[in-house]
Amino acid sequence: MSGKVAAQNTYVLEVRLRTEYTDAEGAAALALLKEQGLTSLKEARMGRLYEITGALTANQAQQAGKDLLCDAVTQEFRVVPAGAAPMNGMNFWRVEVWLKPTVSDPVGATVVEAIAEAGLPKPASARCASLYLLSGRAMKAQIEKAVAKSLANPLIHRVVVTEAHP
Amino acid sequence: MSQLAETAADVMPILGKSAKELKALGAQRHLSLSDAEWAAIQAHFKAVKREPSLAELETIAQTWSEHCKHKTFTSPIKYHEGKKTRSIKNLFQETIVAATEAVKKPWCLSLFKDNAGVVAFGKKWALAMKVETHNHPSALEPYGGAATGVGGVVRDILGVGLGAKPVLNTDTFCFGRPDYKGGLPEGAHHPMRTMRGVVAGVRDYGNRMGIPTAGGGIWFDDDYRLNPLVFCGTVGVMPQWAVKKQVKPGDLIVAVGGRTGRDGLHGATFSSANLGADAPSSAVQIGHAIQEKRVLDALLAARDKQLYSSVTDCGAGGFSSAIGELGADCGAMVRLEQAPLKVSDLDSWEIWLSESQERMVLAVNPKSLKALEAVFAAEGCELAVLGEFTKTGRLQVMHHERSVVDLDMKFLHKGLPRVEREAVWTPAPAAKPAGGVPKKMGEAIREMVANLNVCSREWVIRQYDHEVQGGTIVKPLQGVRHDGPGDACVIWPHAATGDMNDFAAFAVGHGMNPEYGRIDPYWMALAAVDEALRNLTCVGADPSRAALLDNFCWASPDDPKQLGALIRAAEGCRDAAKGFSAPFISGKDSLFNQSKDEKGKDLQIPGTLLISALAPVPDGRKAVTMDFKGVGNALYLIGRTNDELGGSLYHKTLGRTGGEVPKVSPPPRSTASRRCTRPPRAASCSPRTTCPRAAWPSAPSRWALPASSAACWTSTKSRATRASTPTRPCSSPSPPRASSSRSTRSTSPRSSATSASPPSPRWSAASGRPRPTQS
Repeated sequence: MSGKVAAQNTYVLEVRLRTEYTDAEGAAALALLKEQGLTSLKEARMGRLYEITGALTANQAQQAGKDLLCDAVTQEFRVVPAGAAPMNGMNFWRVEVWLKPTVSDPVGATVVEAIAEAGLPKPASARCASLYLLSGRAMKAQIEKAVAKSLANPLIHRVVVTEAHP
Repeated sequence: MSQLAETAADVMPILGKSAKELKALGAQRHLSLSDAEWAAIQAHFKAVKREPSLAELETIAQTWSEHCKHKTFTSPIKYHEGKKTRSIKNLFQETIVAATEAVKKPWCLSLFKDNAGVVAFGKKWALAMKVETHNHPSALEPYGGAATGVGGVVRDILGVGLGAKPVLNTDTFCFGRPDYKGGLPEGAHHPMRTMRGVVAGVRDYGNRMGIPTAGGGIWFDDDYRLNPLVFCGTVGVMPQWAVKKQVKPGDLIVAVGGRTGRDGLHGATFSSANLGADAPSSAVQIGHAIQEKRVLDALLAARDKQLYSSVTDCGAGGFSSAIGELGADCGAMVRLEQAPLKVSDLDSWEIWLSESQERMVLAVNPKSLKALEAVFAAEGCELAVLGEFTKTGRLQVMHHERSVVDLDMKFLHKGLPRVEREAVWTPAPAAKPAGGVPKKMGEAIREMVANLNVCSREWVIRQYDHEVQGGTIVKPLQGVRHDGPGDACVIWPHAATGDMNDFAAFAVGHGMNPEYGRIDPYWMALAAVDEALRNLTCVGADPSRAALLDNFCWASPDDPKQLGALIRAAEGCRDAAKGFSAPFISGKDSLFNQSKDEKGKDLQIPGTLLISALAPVPDGRKAVTMDFKGVGNALYLIGRTNDELGGSLYHKTLGRTGGEVPKVSPPPRSTASRRCTRPPRAASCSPRTTCPRAAWPSAPSRWALPASSAACWTSTKSRATRASTPTRPCSSPSPPRASSSRSTRSTSPRSSATSASPPSPRWSAASGRPRPTQS
């Protein structure tokens, strides 16, 4: 792969609290969703997504996730593989709340600088998102509606809801 | 379209177009220009024999926006009150400025002309204060709107004089009830969501910048459900030599801080329109507190090395506003290709008008540029030379050798047509309290204590870092359990002065009560000033050195009734300032706070006036907290209680309407307040408290008080004796009341409510000074 092609690499890093820790942010999100009528949800866990584009190799992306974006004691991370998530009968949902491309992303800007300061190739861009992993029976449309009224603002956010295996 | 590809398409033909066509063009581009303004623009370009460019139209619209020119407060008004009609040439000059000039305080160092008001703080230092509103952005995106509200007012403080170090943030909010059950129009956020987002935004920006948030309040009323109000205030400390700024032709125009993006376009013109579903999403900004902290640190270091001669922030209007204002008296030549950009596909007008956050503009002597670059590089803060100030008297903007803007500064800043507006005020007929259901006193008090406008704000206050910088003496939460609110915060700004042996501190308090305004905005204004000053007094500040800030939030002034009420409030401010001998040093108006509700009807906010007051505490070690200090302490009632329960929470609890609002009558030269507030000799020992109704540093129990109640409770014998004459400390015989219904001590059930609750002091009953003239 040439250097120019490598510059176009995009990685989505997912950082989550380890399951043995209580997820206060997830609990707060669950409460907000229940306020919107999603009472069938049982649990919500929260994480962060970082979409990094630039001249990083897969190993360098792994290093950025491990050294910069993740607290190794309480959190775990992975590079999200491309492709559709496996279905699981409406019991598990993955909700990604991204800032729209026209909206400034200060955290993303800080991530770009931090990766460069860590001695890795400076990414062309980094965008951040909130990730919610929901368990409980619900319809996609219900989740989208509830998220738009509680966890996201359609004016500045793009929401992606997919069925997902935990 | 790329910036380089812009050609003749950038020209906006307006000559020969009808008023209707121009209005449509304005609506399409969110310019918020009136017919008269379009006509003035057309006439100007006809005279110079050319069509304007898009960037020029956007520049004019931004400069002439309500946000930047305060058109309502500075335009002529024909005011009808009852059968009388009179003309007001300039409401701002005739009320706020006139009162400030009348009281002539030599310690006022900078008034109304800079980004904030500045008063002396000892011989060497000065305090700068500004309170901004960020209502429309917070309605669209509560978190981002509130956060950038904090960021904006902090930059105002950085941009006053040659820059002040922020040492205190304040926040005051007005929301719909969080348990609101009614309908909302499409796209509107529920008040609960708005509240959570706004609190989180203020918290995150203030905490990350390392500025304590230690004062403010929350007011709930369903009429704010579509138009929440977010008041963000900042106090800064600066050396007195840095109060003055000057731009000289030949100075370089230097932009520092964040990069320019597409965010925040049309924020200024957005403020001149009613909020609706067609609000531009581009007006939303997302703040970057860490970036602003870098700017703060670098700027203050550069200030101390005197590396620039003037500075202002890029607020609404971006470079257009900042450079246009700095160069208003001389001229400016700007080259936009020098501006660091977030994205490369910005059009020229977008670079020029973008309201990307965390940017400041400096006027720099070319000889100082290298040293300035070194200071900003040390903080990892970007800097770019955009051009230079000239002596052409023109605002000239180039982009890759192509002229984008070429406007006469005189036309830009003085060409705004003044259109006379109509205002009507119809005094409400005197109405005795009526209706409602009588309740037992215990039941009423329980309900009042549980009222949303009374209950504890601890869950909000605890989210803010009020201790950072280590100078918060009187904190927002007080008492043995640190969960009781107080009257005002007291800050010892040693982090700014660097002098640990100088114990000079300052206090900031607030006053606000929109319920009074529903009955009479004039008395609402007086009560707000009165409350703010009493709050200062109660923590040991010197009210004779109090400086005031006004923040008017109103519905559309195009409605003569709304404008009439606004005039009443402004005249109340004038009379309060004169009566209390307290100058206004800064302020802001946010108008057009109305929206279509779910039924398509206009929902107007109640006319809202926030008064912020700032005063020195000569020795911070002697500041006073409001909690009772021990069993057996004496309790004193100061002031006179009148039958003035109109607009009170007690009436609201009973469902009662009508009645008189409290009629404040400032004493001569604030004599009474000085007598009551001689700085204490013992540190933080003896509480004196007022009856605030909006500030969150206030006791929940006191919020339950009938708003018109007039008394003060102190708990320490020695303190009360020292601070004032015990039984009637500030109340020499009170002036006779015009209305017999306002008995000095009513025996009605309502007045028993007053005596059952701890009320607050009022200067109204304290002297024989005539009541302020009711215009």
